[in-house]
Amino acid sequence: MATPHSNQAHSTVAKKPFAFNSASHLLRIGTERASNLSELLEALRVCPDASIFQHMFQTLAEHHYIREGFSNDFAHWAFFSCNETGLAERLSGVDVREFTSIRALRERVIQVVEAHLANNPQSKDRKALETFYFCSAQTVVIPTPIIAQDLAEFAEGLRKVSLHSIHFHFINARLRTKLNSNDFSVWLQEELGLEVLADRIEEIDIYTSTMEGVRRSIIKLVERELANPSVSPQVRATA
Amino acid sequence: MANEVKKTRKKNVASAKEQQSSTGVPESAIAAVDTPYATEGNGRSNLPGTDRATLMERRKYPRISTTPPAPDAPPKFADYEPIVGTAELNEIRYIAKGLRGKTVKMVNSTAVGGGVAEMLNRLIPLLNEMEVHTKWEVITGGNDFFEVTKGFHNALHGGEYNLTQEIRDIFNSYNEQNRQRMTFDEDVVVIHDPQPAGLIKSRQEHQKWIWRCHIDLSNPHPGVWDFLRPMVEQYDASIFSSPSFTRQLANPQYLFYPCIDPLSEKNKPLDEKYVAKVCDDFGIDRTRPIITQISRFDRLKDPVGVVQAYKLARKYVDCQLVLAGGGASDDPEGAIVLQEVLEAVAGDPDVIILNLPPWSALEINAIQHASDIVIQKSLREGFGLTVTEALWKSKPVIAGAVGGIPTQVVHKLTGVLVQSVEGCAYQIRYLLTHPDFARQLGKQGREHVRENFLMTTNLKRWLLLYQLMLGVAKKERAA
Repeated sequence: MATPHSNQAHSTVAKKPFAFNSASHLLRIGTERASNLSELLEALRVCPDASIFQHMFQTLAEHHYIREGFSNDFAHWAFFSCNETGLAERLSGVDVREFTSIRALRERVIQVVEAHLANNPQSKDRKALETFYFCSAQTVVIPTPIIAQDLAEFAEGLRKVSLHSIHFHFINARLRTKLNSNDFSVWLQEELGLEVLADRIEEIDIYTSTMEGVRRSIIKLVERELANPSVSPQVRATA
Repeated sequence: MANEVKKTRKKNVASAKEQQSSTGVPESAIAAVDTPYATEGNGRSNLPGTDRATLMERRKYPRISTTPPAPDAPPKFADYEPIVGTAELNEIRYIAKGLRGKTVKMVNSTAVGGGVAEMLNRLIPLLNEMEVHTKWEVITGGNDFFEVTKGFHNALHGGEYNLTQEIRDIFNSYNEQNRQRMTFDEDVVVIHDPQPAGLIKSRQEHQKWIWRCHIDLSNPHPGVWDFLRPMVEQYDASIFSSPSFTRQLANPQYLFYPCIDPLSEKNKPLDEKYVAKVCDDFGIDRTRPIITQISRFDRLKDPVGVVQAYKLARKYVDCQLVLAGGGASDDPEGAIVLQEVLEAVAGDPDVIILNLPPWSALEINAIQHASDIVIQKSLREGFGLTVTEALWKSKPVIAGAVGGIPTQVVHKLTGVLVQSVEGCAYQIRYLLTHPDFARQLGKQGREHVRENFLMTTNLKRWLLLYQLMLGVAKKERAA
């Protein structure tokens, strides 16, 4: 169902090429620690932003090969060390992709813990099996030589870059761009006009897939687009 | 043979039901008595011509190598490409490029033996290959100094200690002698562990000094820590192997997990024939499930608990237990523990005990490779690099939830954690009868190591730290 417009989009050379970057992280051990849920709540209020980033975002990169289990360190600790299944489930339900700032993400996590402790006051001071140590990620951005100017080069780049690069552009991007989207979708939409493809990529579920699975899904969508171009709403309106 | 297995199985079911109340094993576990390995075979074999009688004989008289092999040449950076991929190596190269021409000195207390020397032997050639010029120096001292530092080591792990003025003087004077003997002109100086901590007096304004602490400081002897702390706090940063090993310090603290080298003798891929040969030499039957714990004969590694867990599991599943380690020949306590293990074994021919010499890295690699399950049922542990080694070989690991083990074994995702003999026995049975789950754990365990605990990741951490400390790095701030 190709249209002249969408075919044109696939051969379009982007004015601004997509430059694949990556990031490396060094872990700094924080001063905050928690051996029960009251202490966790207190530490969540005062820990540096980089700690929230580490335990909510960065843990996905460190455990990128796992597709089951709890999706962030706080949820994992609530389940395995505090035996608080309900809290673990709610914390796990905090989807980092809905947040464009650490401040808002921190507030949400605090709300979840506060609500749980309000309903379960007996859980406040129950000693955890293991202490939770707050760490923070110091991130260093690493440019790669891989650049894409059109959709075919973009697919090639996705195959070549490291999983850290996928994580950097697909998950961590929203903190940088302040948009509820990822670098890939933003570029595909703004530079190549591929809004439908951009939306489909944004819909990939990071919590039920490994990071390699995410990469494969993006490549599959891009390859499908190259083979059978979709019609973006914009193109549909002007056709 | 098949009838024998069935008979044994029925007996095992009956025995399991009898035992249920005493062991507290859940009903669902009792039902899981199928042993795919024992009944269907695992597709592996010993060398052609090795029969059961030969294996049983070798168990009594294992063929243990008596001479150390010549060491492998250290690998080149590019040798890691098939293991971690081109993109990862390119990222490390990029980080190193920003540091080209910078100079680093690393100082520790021993050139051979021990995990730190082993790690530096691998790390330093890689740093130099990246053109980050790194020198390694070792402090010298008399027996009195090393007696003091051994005492400090035990005291920092929480042991009793009488810190006298004489002891302080010995420590300070040897540090001062070494300080006078050595030069410190490098951009970065890294001091490993407490022994050379006093060298910090040589710090110059333009330099960055880093203290790399490889030991657990969570519960130190207060007097010894009070003595060392003022030295440690003069460093620009300190590095620990686990957040739980730290003290509250005035300087920034970083987390560097210990690592394994995937190309070392203990971890490199092995030829199947070599694995079969090692199994033959030690009397290990490759056609039956193999459960292994690699550790010194030390009570903190709970080898007796492992034997008890094996015996409980053996009522339901066919398997052999291999306990391989050293320390029983040169350590009087090791010999006592070995005796306790032998008593617990009580002549069971399917328990193979190997007291190996220190140069047995290849043999240990082969045993891990041949194993169906690797156990590390420690009661106390440092980081537990034997766990890392097993995970890297894609083995399902059953381990005690102590020290650095929970960092490596994420329960039911990269292995299983246990708190008791009964729990360990149950997990042996479960993993042997659920090979798909065991394989999944092994696969995820290997990826966990690839991401976090390999030499290449360690190299990257060092380079990143140098970049950050020397102001080379382009940092990104969390929004």
